[in-house]
Amino acid sequence: MKKLVMVLAVALLLACACVGYAADKPKVTIYTSMYEDIIEAMTFVLQEKFPDYDIEFFYGGTGTLQAKIAAERDTKKLGCDMLMVADPSYALELKELGLLHAYLSKEAGNLSLEYDPEGYWYPVRNLNMILAYNPEKFKKEDLPQSFKDFAYNEAMKGLISMPNPLTAGTAQVAVSALKDKYGYEYFDKLAANRVMVESGSVALTKLETGECKMVMILEESVLKKREEENSALEVIYPADGTICVPSPIMTVKDEWSAHGNAKICEELTDWFLSPEGQGYIVKGWMHSVLKNPPAIPYDSINTAEIVTNSMPVSWENCLRDRSELRTNFEERVKNKI
Amino acid sequence: MFFTPFGAALFETGGNRVSVQASFQENKRFHLDVKAALITAIVAFLLVFNVFPMAYLVFRSFFGENGFTLETFKRIYTYPLNWNALRNTLVTAGLSMVFGVMIAFPLAWLVGRTDMYGRKFFRTLFVMTYMVPPYVGAMAWLRLLNPRVGTLNVFLANLFGLSENPLNIYSIGGLVWVLTTFYYPYAFITISRAMEKMDPSLEEASKISGASPLKTVMTVTFPVMLPSIVAAGLLVFVSAASCYGIPSIIGAPGQIDTVTTRIIDYVYVGSAEGLTDATTLAVSLMLIANLVLYVSTFICGKKQYITVSGKSTRPNIMELGRWRLPVTLLVTAFALIVVVIPFATVAMASFTTNLGKPLSASNFTTRYWHILFTRKGILDTVKNSLLSASIAATAGIAISCVMAWLLTRTQAKGRRIPDFLITVGSGTPSVVIALALIMTMSGRFGINIYNTLTIMIVAYMVKYLLMGMRTVVSAMSQIHPSLEEASLISGAEWQRSFWDVTLPLIAPSVVAGWFLIFMPSFYELTMSTLLYSTDTKTIGYELFTYQTYHSQQTASAIATGILGMVVIVNWILNKLTKGEFSI
Amino acid sequence: MSSITLTDVTKSYGSTQVIQKFSSVFQDREFVTLLGPSGCGKTTMLRMIAGFEKPTTGEIKIDDTVVSGEGRFVPPNRRGIGMVFQSYAVWPHMNVFDNVAYPLKIQRVPRDEIRQRVEAILEAVHLSQYVERMPNELSGGQQQRVALGRALVCNPRVLLLDEPLSNLDAKLRESMRFEIKDVQKRFGITVVYVTHDQTEAMAMSDRVIVFNKGAVQQMGSPMNIYRHPANQFVADFVGKINFLRGTASEGRIDFPGGPRAPSQRGQGMAYDGEKRGPVVVAVRPENMTMRADRGVLHGTLSQAYYLGDTNDCRVDMDGISLRVIAAGNTYGQVESGAPVWLDFNEYLVFDDDGEDQTRILS
Repeated sequence: MKKLVMVLAVALLLACACVGYAADKPKVTIYTSMYEDIIEAMTFVLQEKFPDYDIEFFYGGTGTLQAKIAAERDTKKLGCDMLMVADPSYALELKELGLLHAYLSKEAGNLSLEYDPEGYWYPVRNLNMILAYNPEKFKKEDLPQSFKDFAYNEAMKGLISMPNPLTAGTAQVAVSALKDKYGYEYFDKLAANRVMVESGSVALTKLETGECKMVMILEESVLKKREEENSALEVIYPADGTICVPSPIMTVKDEWSAHGNAKICEELTDWFLSPEGQGYIVKGWMHSVLKNPPAIPYDSINTAEIVTNSMPVSWENCLRDRSELRTNFEERVKNKI
Repeated sequence: MFFTPFGAALFETGGNRVSVQASFQENKRFHLDVKAALITAIVAFLLVFNVFPMAYLVFRSFFGENGFTLETFKRIYTYPLNWNALRNTLVTAGLSMVFGVMIAFPLAWLVGRTDMYGRKFFRTLFVMTYMVPPYVGAMAWLRLLNPRVGTLNVFLANLFGLSENPLNIYSIGGLVWVLTTFYYPYAFITISRAMEKMDPSLEEASKISGASPLKTVMTVTFPVMLPSIVAAGLLVFVSAASCYGIPSIIGAPGQIDTVTTRIIDYVYVGSAEGLTDATTLAVSLMLIANLVLYVSTFICGKKQYITVSGKSTRPNIMELGRWRLPVTLLVTAFALIVVVIPFATVAMASFTTNLGKPLSASNFTTRYWHILFTRKGILDTVKNSLLSASIAATAGIAISCVMAWLLTRTQAKGRRIPDFLITVGSGTPSVVIALALIMTMSGRFGINIYNTLTIMIVAYMVKYLLMGMRTVVSAMSQIHPSLEEASLISGAEWQRSFWDVTLPLIAPSVVAGWFLIFMPSFYELTMSTLLYSTDTKTIGYELFTYQTYHSQQTASAIATGILGMVVIVNWILNKLTKGEFSI
Repeated sequence: MSSITLTDVTKSYGSTQVIQKFSSVFQDREFVTLLGPSGCGKTTMLRMIAGFEKPTTGEIKIDDTVVSGEGRFVPPNRRGIGMVFQSYAVWPHMNVFDNVAYPLKIQRVPRDEIRQRVEAILEAVHLSQYVERMPNELSGGQQQRVALGRALVCNPRVLLLDEPLSNLDAKLRESMRFEIKDVQKRFGITVVYVTHDQTEAMAMSDRVIVFNKGAVQQMGSPMNIYRHPANQFVADFVGKINFLRGTASEGRIDFPGGPRAPSQRGQGMAYDGEKRGPVVVAVRPENMTMRADRGVLHGTLSQAYYLGDTNDCRVDMDGISLRVIAAGNTYGQVESGAPVWLDFNEYLVFDDDGEDQTRILS
């Protein structure tokens, strides 16, 4: 009997070892799909910049967060005050649903990219869908240099990987742009080339081990690996255009938001769009959205150059065709086995 | 607060045809009320957090924005992709169940009943597999057996001089393999427990009748153990069928969908319609799982063997003789392949900078371990998971004990109701539970526990209660009632008898049951994916996101950390109880 | 002072009645044995007295307290009863001392007193040297004593024993019989003892109640039961007995039979009872005299075992085999295969109603 009591005591101790603490400062919760490493750095900076506020990031993949918000919408209250996630098409959707708070930022004039004229959303970081390979295993000249070749080159069969448009916002945009450019045939070609659909970290590992020759991936994840792990992985900016995804920053209306601190969110929006805030975005291997970027990410090329050579994306199409794209992607790519 | 008084009237204790009368003696009345109250309390808990949410979910799948419609059903179930997924789920879960039991039974027998070398060590090793998140294993196998550069694949190809790598993890077979290697411990644990309790004289009687050891196992041990084996198999089936982590990692590259991955895909559409679609598809998984569980519970329920007598017997160990060494080697090889290699792969990954290169001095780093112990995000999630999992496990095991008592020792009417509901809950895919809870527990119906740890705890309990309960029930059903009767006749109230006699005898099972609830709750992924909030992110989800999005090495460090924790806890348990309890 | 009064007790499971209406008073300090084959309801009866089963109808009183009936039901733990189970039910996780001390702990007896009383009891059941042993380190007989000690330790009003000796070897069984009897006398308790072994019943009981198919067949002292069985079942179940089918008429019972050698008339014996028509004559093996030269009935000695004090013989009589226990000095007087004569010294005559003829010879 004593033994059992002792066992229970151990269990209880384990449980008691976890007592949280709460702060009294006004709180802002931000849903974001930025990397945890970047979030950590960013949290630290924000603590110094806004010591009176308790700002918390909450990481989730775009799909996860969208699902979460959909579920939360049912409850008439979201779990967050701000969103730094997905692409403009999602911002359009949320705006239509009346969830967003409008604010005209003083920084708006410096933006190089499209933003909502009424101030419902602003682009805050520029994400680039590119191709990546491992020069330690394969020669660059043997590999496709464009998205088109990536899918159409039969030599790549079984050796390519891409993110899942169902879960990753950027991938959603990418397939929308690629479909607009090449039609649904592009999906069929991907399927014929037996593309593996999986998330970034997995794909990069496959590049490193040589399991994949080439992957479609976000530039930032390759740059991060290069800087942090001295990785040899290299970016190819596709000849048919990098797919640029300006990810928006949005504030949730007070009646919907978790803490009702829209005023604070306005301050945060200004800071994120300021050269200083953008500096941290760039440190996080993403490109700035300013006309005069404070810097370019580690090992990357000029932001303007990428934007100029980007594949056109129609956000309206993205929003309108979303379920059609989804279904087609599923049926044409995922259903081929 | 949810304990409505109606149960007291509904569930009168059976065994007597006399209705409750005022003339009843004080203690008799008390008896009645305790049983009824316990059943009522458990049923109320399950009704509120299990039945009602599920029912609402089903309701929602029929009633869209514009009233009743079968449109969604038609759309979902005429979609070939979903049928493929359904077939894949049945095939993989079914095969995993068969293989899992085929592996678990002989292992449990060898470990529990023979003089194989290192029995205790192997036992711990096999159970350990249960204690790590399955998707970590999936990741390891991905690296070992991928068709192009899988380490093991290349090794095998070189060994046998093959021109092509022999194995492909991105296949149904691969999926079954990983599911089996990570879910057979469920069966192993269940069967081992029962085997330890079996009266050895049953086997001795067979041997004395001239049966060979193998014949004895097949004609006596196996049939006597059958109820436990069936229960074990089902546990594997349901776990494998509602698993998301493994098919999402193994299945995705090979474009193999299972129902769970399809459901999550629908959820990730991120719209109300997506949720309805997910719900509608989930209904089928819910039905399959519950049908299987319920039918077999019926079959098993008919065959109850009391295998532990009130007489104390020494455990009987079969001597393997000249087979002792070969058998040990065989089991070692199995352990090496199924446990050691994958775990070692994961552990090594946590120290490797570039996973494309072998671990060497220049490719070695401890930064991921540093991250593990310093990053607030990770530490917070560990705290959350420890807290929610221990509460879920403790509350769950308390319910399990009460249920075991009600089921095996009383004739109380309605005692099958909570049993059935618990079975339904566990048979329900995690995704479905999470969806249902979000929809119903966020203020719409007066209870708002969304974004709290409570909703996690509730979800874990609904999902994992069955494992704890089955363990305790099977332990209890194998304790001869006369042991408790002796205590009653000695003057102890039934509560006291339970505490003094029954509980100590089932204590190892209770501890095991606690961990059976605790560990999967601790690293739970699927439900946490949907239920977490800023303050309640769990380690399972954190691990999964690191694995798939941020950094596999950090994920490996987390996984190895969890494994380390399990080893340490096991060691402490062992020390504290002088070897009586271990995981 | 503790008697058990059972009034019109019945027990049914669903529509099957397992105990027919039963009434009796077990007197204080009486040793009552419930005897019968397995499935006869004797254990159910015992468990109703213990409180593990609830009578369907009827009343059970211990002394003047109604423990069951009239809407009252006292659970087993409040009946102040000691019980020894067939499987002993010695708790495997407690040592001998803790097992025996348990009932006292429940009663919150002070620690010192517990020690004293447990030691006294262990002394009484000859287990003093095993105080610290765990049950799995004990033999069957020792476990049995632990169970007995535990049942006795709080001086129960009533001791119930459910086939306590059935798992022991023959020698141990015999010595335990005396120990139990001895304990009963020393502690002065009322004992209800369940067994299917008639020797046990005979040896220990003040009163034996024979059950069959849920109904009482006979109640009485062992001698009464043995010498005056109420029916063929009791006659057969208690002790060894031969049955012969015959026809009773005025002054005589005739036995049908096969070849009538050596005399040419059918066999028969004098009878002065009331019965007429088909009857069964029951005679115990020791109640016959076997001689080589004269007697009433004749047959052939087919087998004989010399047991010293007696001879255990089989006599073929008109194609049927009778068991005869003959005096030791008979041995050597007749040889196997030789014709012998039998006299029935004491016998019973039952109506041949076709019931309970499991071993009727005809």
